[in-house]
Amino acid sequence: MREFDPVKRRTRLSVALALVPVLALTLGIPLANRVEPRIAGLPFLLAYIVCWIILTPAFLLAVYRNDNRA
Amino acid sequence: MNAIIAIGVIAVVLAATLGLGIFGVRRIKMDAEQYIVGGRSFGALFLWLLLAGEIYTSFTFLGAAGWAYGRGAPAFYILCYGTLAYILSYFMLPPIWRLSQRHNFLTGPDFFVHQYDSPRLGALVALVGFIFLIPYATLQLTGVQVLLTIAGYGAINSLAAVAIAFTLIAVFVFGTGLRGAAWASTVKDAMVLIGVVFAGIVLPVRFFGSPAGAIDHVLAAKPHWMTLTGDASANGVVWFVSTVALTALGFYMWPQSLAAVYSAKNEDTLRRNAIALPVYQLMLLLVYFAGFTALLVLPGLKGPAADQSFMLVVKQYYSPWILGFIAAAGCLAGLVPASVQILAAASIVSKNVLSDTFGIAKTSAERTRATRILVLVVAVLAFAFWALARTTLVGLLLIAYNGITQLFPGVALSFAPRRPSAAGVAAGILCGIAALAAFAMTGTSVVGGVNVGVVALAFNAAVAIVTGYAIPALKPRVPTADSSTR
Repeated sequence: MREFDPVKRRTRLSVALALVPVLALTLGIPLANRVEPRIAGLPFLLAYIVCWIILTPAFLLAVYRNDNRA
Repeated sequence: MNAIIAIGVIAVVLAATLGLGIFGVRRIKMDAEQYIVGGRSFGALFLWLLLAGEIYTSFTFLGAAGWAYGRGAPAFYILCYGTLAYILSYFMLPPIWRLSQRHNFLTGPDFFVHQYDSPRLGALVALVGFIFLIPYATLQLTGVQVLLTIAGYGAINSLAAVAIAFTLIAVFVFGTGLRGAAWASTVKDAMVLIGVVFAGIVLPVRFFGSPAGAIDHVLAAKPHWMTLTGDASANGVVWFVSTVALTALGFYMWPQSLAAVYSAKNEDTLRRNAIALPVYQLMLLLVYFAGFTALLVLPGLKGPAADQSFMLVVKQYYSPWILGFIAAAGCLAGLVPASVQILAAASIVSKNVLSDTFGIAKTSAERTRATRILVLVVAVLAFAFWALARTTLVGLLLIAYNGITQLFPGVALSFAPRRPSAAGVAAGILCGIAALAAFAMTGTSVVGGVNVGVVALAFNAAVAIVTGYAIPALKPRVPTADSSTR
């Protein structure tokens, strides 16, 4: 019944959450490698990277909450 | 007169910061543990300052602008790798911290000594850290030299500037330990923030109305400046992704970074730091704006000269008071991290090589003396490297990261259910570094678009896994049934 081990499931969720920004800022880069559309004056590639940097603390906070769930 | 004002401002700021660094440590009795890990009592805010203090260096201030000026979009890798390193650190640092508390680690290599039960592996790791901290220290030395040369308005040539920079670094190392550096970091960060806001907002607004205006002008002149080339060339998209991955893995392999981790009060501090630190990266955005503005206002700087980009604009269009203030901020961004890095390089060799492996400098007093002598050795080597390898600040950082990341397989494999032997890990590190040396001698920076550091790292990991599990440890080891409690 390993599938239903709550600790393991929680760890797996944490890793999955953390992987989202990791993949966005590595494998996502070739897909975002464009100038248009420009966002707030920034070329798309730079805006894409900045967006993910702002989102990363939100994902890590979700991981933190998940890890500390009673 | 201009030179006197600018240099005068720098001198006052540096003296005040040094005073604060010394004052911060005065009331605490300094033994080796206080000096290197700050007595293991740093809370979240103080640790944040210390980690940020090591991360935001001459490289951020001048190097990132230099690459935005000289290469464009490849400079964006700097935004990505720090962020990924913090994500990795959320998971990796708490277990490292727990081990450090239980076994009283003092230096970065102590982790390897304990995990692989091998002081000799610790000595090898210390030497790798020592060697690759030299280009990192050279980077800081170069940054300070560039700023002093500019602030001298022609009165200070680069050799005189580097000699002054060298002296200032020595003063900072001997004046402050880790705790002093954390205090000095508070001044440095406040000043760098003001300097960066000026360079990244005031400059583009003056010349182009807004930072977005500067980007419009760059795109009009150079339509491909804000995107990566899709092919397998150096600085293309494959290089970008591989370099982000490589440098993110290497980020916490630096001995001074690990020592900073040991100094945390508890593991929750490390997790909360990992959540908050990515935001700090956004300061780089302003640095890019400064570099883009300089590219349009003062085009034509080639190679390492690009690192001077926005400072030359400030010099040409603003008063020496403003130039002096921004140069002072930049000097602190070089001197504070340099003192931490040089101290780390010296202390790992005195502890893990001289004391633990060769039995020299056993007592605390002897080790302190050995560390002091080694500080000068590192500084002289950094000076020699400055004289020999004239490359951009980002170029220096990439050399340093290619090397230090070779320690990552050893850290990762030490958490495996069954650990490889110390000999295997050592063989991996040596093969990785030999590969880097071969690439350097043939002038190869990418293989099929991939950063050679990643190629060397893959070779390293393969060798470590194959020999590490095929050749058993020389000493009989306790099976790792207790690995969760160690």
